[in-house]
Amino acid sequence: MIVQTSLTMTLDQIPLFAMLKSRMGYLSERQTVISENVANSDTPGYTPRDLQPFKISMPTSGSGGAGGALGMAPVQTNVAHLSGVAASVGSTASNGGSIAQAWKTQDAPDSDTRLDGNKVVLEEEMMKLNDARTSYDAAVSFYQKSMGLIELALRTPGKGA
Amino acid sequence: MADNVPPSGAAMTIAASALRAQQARMRVIAENMANADSVSTTPGGDPYRRQVPVFTPMTLAGGLRGVTMSKTAADQTAFRSEYQPGNPSADAKGYVKLPNVDPLVEALDMRDAQRAYEANLSVIENARSMQSRTLDLLKK
Repeated sequence: MIVQTSLTMTLDQIPLFAMLKSRMGYLSERQTVISENVANSDTPGYTPRDLQPFKISMPTSGSGGAGGALGMAPVQTNVAHLSGVAASVGSTASNGGSIAQAWKTQDAPDSDTRLDGNKVVLEEEMMKLNDARTSYDAAVSFYQKSMGLIELALRTPGKGA
Repeated sequence: MADNVPPSGAAMTIAASALRAQQARMRVIAENMANADSVSTTPGGDPYRRQVPVFTPMTLAGGLRGVTMSKTAADQTAFRSEYQPGNPSADAKGYVKLPNVDPLVEALDMRDAQRAYEANLSVIENARSMQSRTLDLLKK
């Protein structure tokens, strides 16, 4: 689907895809952490954990390639524009397409502590799990839509869908 | 755990360990229920002592933190005693020691085990749906 030029082009060099990939990696990792919490919902003294909030970091140096720095920044072309600065938008997965990113976990006790010191509230974990699933579905949908756009661009003009 | 990416079935593996632990807990509850009236075979002896499951985190392959029922511990609550002079298990004064099992407590514990079991099933369902969503990407 991707046109091969002398510079190998991968989907990861498109910021949107790199971001989605990173996001999907984060969400499936989060699901794993939440399932640990649910599994230990009856373990005395257990404190549930969660991943630190998702944020997209700048690509690591030396990633080079056709994309170079994948950061994007808005440009003011009119005085009426807000002077917002996009904070470090880019790809985390630009180093050869690896999604082996170390997402940091932190203790995230739920609202209630039982007498045995267990801090897991099943309902709250279920909410987090559903949140992760919904966000994951959204990311996959975005991925599909973006793929659709590339396909549209590649389509021969004049030939219908 | 951070330095190796868990396989796609990580969540399912963890939930499965919890399902096993909850099953083991159900077994202990069933034993308690079944022995709610088991008295000693010797006069004045101790009857069945209620067992409680002990859950501990268990490290699975790939550094995942699952759970296991590591052992059962004896419930140290005092036995009930009843005046039944005719009972072969009665002591010299005619009192029989009865197990420290309260069927109501066991029933509540059973509900708790069921709830935890269902929660873990729903984790598996969730993981499955996320995986199949990813596989849908191939279907276009």
